[in-house]
Amino acid sequence: MPGLTVQLADLQAEGPRLEVRLTDTAGAAAPTAVDALIDTGATVTVVANQVLKRLGLSPIGTALVHTPSSTNVRCYKYLVRLVLPNGVGLETVAIGTPLRGQRIQCLIGRDLLKNAVFVYTGQTNTFTLSF
Amino acid sequence: MKATASSPLKKELRTYAAHKSELLRRVRGKYVLIKGSRIVGTFESELDAAHQGYERFGNVPFLVKQVMEVEVPLDFTSSLLGV
Repeated sequence: MPGLTVQLADLQAEGPRLEVRLTDTAGAAAPTAVDALIDTGATVTVVANQVLKRLGLSPIGTALVHTPSSTNVRCYKYLVRLVLPNGVGLETVAIGTPLRGQRIQCLIGRDLLKNAVFVYTGQTNTFTLSF
Repeated sequence: MKATASSPLKKELRTYAAHKSELLRRVRGKYVLIKGSRIVGTFESELDAAHQGYERFGNVPFLVKQVMEVEVPLDFTSSLLGV
Protein backbone atom coordinates (compact mmCIF):
# COMPACT_ATOMS: atom_id res chain seq x y z
CA MET A 1 0.00 0.00 0.00
CA PRO A 2 2.03 3.00 -1.25
CA GLY A 3 1.75 6.00 1.03
CA LEU A 4 2.92 9.54 1.31
CA THR A 5 3.52 11.73 4.32
CA VAL A 6 3.01 15.49 4.15
CA GLN A 7 4.30 17.97 6.72
CA LEU A 8 2.79 21.45 6.90
CA ALA A 9 3.80 24.49 8.92
CA ASP A 10 0.45 24.56 10.72
CA LEU A 11 -1.75 21.56 10.05
CA GLN A 12 -4.57 22.88 12.21
CA ALA A 13 -4.76 26.18 10.31
CA GLU A 14 -4.24 24.78 6.80
CA GLY A 15 -5.95 21.43 7.09
CA PRO A 16 -4.65 18.25 5.49
CA ARG A 17 -3.93 19.64 2.02
CA LEU A 18 -1.66 18.48 -0.74
CA GLU A 19 -1.05 19.19 -4.39
CA VAL A 20 -2.61 16.72 -6.80
CA ARG A 21 -2.73 16.60 -10.58
CA LEU A 22 -6.16 16.33 -12.15
CA THR A 23 -6.81 14.99 -15.63
CA ASP A 24 -9.28 12.96 -17.63
CA THR A 25 -9.18 9.18 -17.56
CA ALA A 26 -8.12 8.91 -21.20
CA GLY A 27 -5.05 11.07 -20.64
CA ALA A 28 -6.14 13.45 -23.41
CA ALA A 29 -6.32 16.54 -21.21
CA ALA A 30 -3.17 18.24 -19.97
CA PRO A 31 -2.88 17.54 -16.23
CA THR A 32 -3.72 20.48 -14.00
CA ALA A 33 -2.02 20.84 -10.62
CA VAL A 34 -4.38 21.97 -7.86
CA ASP A 35 -4.40 22.19 -4.09
CA ALA A 36 -6.66 19.51 -2.62
CA LEU A 37 -8.01 19.21 0.90
CA ILE A 38 -8.71 15.82 2.44
CA ASP A 39 -12.28 16.24 3.66
CA THR A 40 -13.86 13.47 5.72
CA GLY A 41 -17.04 15.57 5.76
CA ALA A 42 -17.50 15.19 2.00
CA THR A 43 -19.51 12.19 0.85
CA VAL A 44 -17.74 12.29 -2.50
CA THR A 45 -14.87 14.16 -4.13
CA VAL A 46 -15.47 17.70 -5.38
CA VAL A 47 -13.61 19.57 -8.11
CA ALA A 48 -13.96 23.29 -8.79
CA ASN A 49 -15.96 24.07 -11.92
CA GLN A 50 -13.19 26.24 -13.33
CA VAL A 51 -10.77 23.31 -13.23
CA LEU A 52 -13.27 21.00 -14.92
CA LYS A 53 -13.77 23.62 -17.61
CA ARG A 54 -10.01 23.84 -18.13
CA LEU A 55 -9.86 20.05 -18.52
CA GLY A 56 -12.70 20.16 -21.04
CA LEU A 57 -14.67 17.38 -19.36
CA SER A 58 -18.28 16.62 -20.20
CA PRO A 59 -20.81 15.79 -17.47
CA ILE A 60 -21.82 12.17 -16.99
CA GLY A 61 -24.54 12.59 -14.40
CA THR A 62 -26.15 14.78 -11.81
CA ALA A 63 -26.43 14.65 -8.03
CA LEU A 64 -28.37 16.43 -5.33
CA VAL A 65 -26.09 18.22 -2.90
CA HIS A 66 -26.62 19.32 0.70
CA THR A 67 -24.22 21.87 2.24
CA PRO A 68 -24.37 23.90 5.48
CA SER A 69 -26.02 26.73 3.54
CA SER A 70 -28.17 24.97 0.96
CA THR A 71 -30.18 21.84 0.31
CA ASN A 72 -31.06 19.85 -2.79
CA VAL A 73 -28.84 21.76 -5.22
CA ARG A 74 -28.46 19.74 -8.40
CA CYS A 75 -24.88 19.57 -9.63
CA TYR A 76 -23.11 17.77 -12.45
CA LYS A 77 -20.84 14.76 -12.02
CA TYR A 78 -17.61 14.14 -13.94
CA LEU A 79 -15.25 11.21 -14.33
CA VAL A 80 -11.82 12.45 -13.22
CA ARG A 81 -8.37 11.07 -12.48
CA LEU A 82 -6.31 12.37 -9.56
CA VAL A 83 -2.59 11.72 -9.36
CA LEU A 84 -1.01 12.06 -5.91
CA PRO A 85 2.53 13.43 -5.43
CA ASN A 86 3.82 9.86 -5.06
CA GLY A 87 2.43 8.91 -8.47
CA VAL A 88 -0.59 6.95 -7.27
CA GLY A 89 -3.49 7.49 -9.68
CA LEU A 90 -7.10 7.44 -8.50
CA GLU A 91 -10.22 7.53 -10.63
CA THR A 92 -13.58 8.65 -9.35
CA VAL A 93 -16.83 10.33 -10.26
CA ALA A 94 -16.59 13.81 -8.72
CA ILE A 95 -19.08 16.60 -8.20
CA GLY A 96 -18.44 19.91 -9.94
CA THR A 97 -19.24 23.04 -7.93
CA PRO A 98 -17.78 26.47 -7.39
CA LEU A 99 -15.33 26.39 -4.47
CA ARG A 100 -15.01 29.45 -2.27
CA GLY A 101 -11.57 30.96 -1.76
CA GLN A 102 -8.60 31.01 -4.06
CA ARG A 103 -6.58 28.12 -2.83
CA ILE A 104 -8.45 24.84 -2.52
CA GLN A 105 -9.78 23.54 -5.84
CA CYS A 106 -10.50 19.96 -4.90
CA LEU A 107 -11.96 18.18 -1.87
CA ILE A 108 -10.90 14.56 -1.56
CA GLY A 109 -14.01 12.88 -0.20
CA ARG A 110 -15.02 9.58 1.32
CA ASP A 111 -15.50 7.93 -2.09
CA LEU A 112 -11.69 7.84 -2.35
CA LEU A 113 -10.96 7.60 1.37
CA LYS A 114 -12.96 4.37 1.59
CA ASN A 115 -9.94 2.66 0.02
CA ALA A 116 -7.33 4.55 2.04
CA VAL A 117 -5.55 4.69 5.35
CA PHE A 118 -5.47 8.29 6.52
CA VAL A 119 -3.41 9.16 9.59
CA TYR A 120 -3.63 12.70 10.98
CA THR A 121 -0.80 13.41 13.41
CA GLY A 122 -1.49 16.83 14.84
CA GLN A 123 1.45 16.80 17.24
CA THR A 124 3.96 16.77 14.37
CA ASN A 125 1.87 18.73 11.81
CA THR A 126 1.91 15.74 9.49
CA PHE A 127 -0.57 13.46 7.83
CA THR A 128 -0.09 10.23 5.94
CA LEU A 129 -2.30 8.97 3.14
CA SER A 130 -1.95 5.44 1.79
CA PHE A 131 -3.87 3.67 -0.96
CA MET B 1 -21.99 24.12 -12.10
CA LYS B 2 -25.62 23.71 -11.25
CA ALA B 3 -27.62 21.42 -13.48
CA THR B 4 -30.47 23.39 -15.05
CA ALA B 5 -33.41 22.88 -17.37
CA SER B 6 -31.08 23.54 -20.30
CA SER B 7 -28.83 20.75 -19.05
CA PRO B 8 -26.68 18.93 -21.60
CA LEU B 9 -28.16 15.79 -20.02
CA LYS B 10 -31.77 16.86 -20.48
CA LYS B 11 -32.58 14.17 -23.04
CA GLU B 12 -30.91 11.43 -21.00
CA LEU B 13 -32.72 12.49 -17.82
CA ARG B 14 -36.02 12.33 -19.71
CA THR B 15 -35.14 8.85 -20.93
CA TYR B 16 -34.40 7.75 -17.36
CA ALA B 17 -37.69 9.18 -16.11
CA ALA B 18 -39.61 7.43 -18.88
CA HIS B 19 -38.08 4.03 -18.02
CA LYS B 20 -37.72 4.42 -14.26
CA SER B 21 -40.54 2.06 -13.25
CA GLU B 22 -39.27 -0.69 -15.50
CA LEU B 23 -35.67 -0.18 -14.35
CA LEU B 24 -36.72 -0.33 -10.69
CA ARG B 25 -38.37 -3.67 -11.32
CA ARG B 26 -35.42 -5.13 -13.19
CA VAL B 27 -32.19 -3.55 -11.89
CA ARG B 28 -32.90 -1.61 -8.69
CA GLY B 29 -29.67 -0.36 -7.09
CA LYS B 30 -27.53 -0.85 -10.18
CA TYR B 31 -26.13 1.86 -12.44
CA VAL B 32 -27.67 2.54 -15.80
CA LEU B 33 -25.82 4.09 -18.75
CA ILE B 34 -27.98 6.22 -21.03
CA LYS B 35 -27.08 8.10 -24.21
CA GLY B 36 -29.83 10.18 -25.78
CA SER B 37 -32.99 8.11 -25.78
CA ARG B 38 -31.11 4.79 -25.57
CA ILE B 39 -30.44 2.71 -22.48
CA VAL B 40 -27.02 1.29 -23.26
CA GLY B 41 -26.65 -1.06 -20.31
CA THR B 42 -26.61 -1.60 -16.57
CA PHE B 43 -23.55 -2.01 -14.37
CA GLU B 44 -22.61 -2.96 -10.82
CA SER B 45 -20.64 0.23 -10.15
CA GLU B 46 -20.74 3.87 -11.17
CA LEU B 47 -17.12 3.74 -12.34
CA ASP B 48 -17.77 0.72 -14.56
CA ALA B 49 -20.68 2.50 -16.20
CA ALA B 50 -18.67 5.71 -16.64
CA HIS B 51 -15.74 3.85 -18.22
CA GLN B 52 -18.05 2.07 -20.60
CA GLY B 53 -19.59 5.41 -21.54
CA TYR B 54 -16.19 6.91 -22.33
CA GLU B 55 -15.18 3.85 -24.34
CA ARG B 56 -18.33 3.96 -26.44
CA PHE B 57 -18.96 7.67 -26.80
CA GLY B 58 -15.80 9.52 -25.79
CA ASN B 59 -15.75 12.82 -23.92
CA VAL B 60 -19.34 13.87 -24.59
CA PRO B 61 -22.30 14.12 -22.22
CA PHE B 62 -23.93 10.84 -21.28
CA LEU B 63 -25.81 9.79 -18.18
CA VAL B 64 -24.77 7.35 -15.48
CA LYS B 65 -27.45 7.03 -12.83
CA GLN B 66 -28.13 4.69 -9.95
CA VAL B 67 -31.57 3.16 -10.25
CA MET B 68 -33.34 4.18 -7.04
CA GLU B 69 -36.87 5.04 -6.02
CA VAL B 70 -35.74 8.27 -4.36
CA GLU B 71 -32.42 9.98 -5.02
CA VAL B 72 -30.31 10.35 -1.88
CA PRO B 73 -28.59 13.76 -1.58
CA LEU B 74 -24.83 13.90 -1.00
CA ASP B 75 -23.78 15.66 2.20
CA PHE B 76 -20.92 18.12 2.55
CA THR B 77 -20.04 19.75 5.87
CA SER B 78 -17.52 22.14 4.33
CA SER B 79 -18.48 25.76 3.77
CA LEU B 80 -16.02 25.84 0.85
CA LEU B 81 -18.74 24.66 -1.53
CA GLY B 82 -20.18 27.68 -3.27
CA VAL B 83 -23.67 26.32 -3.81
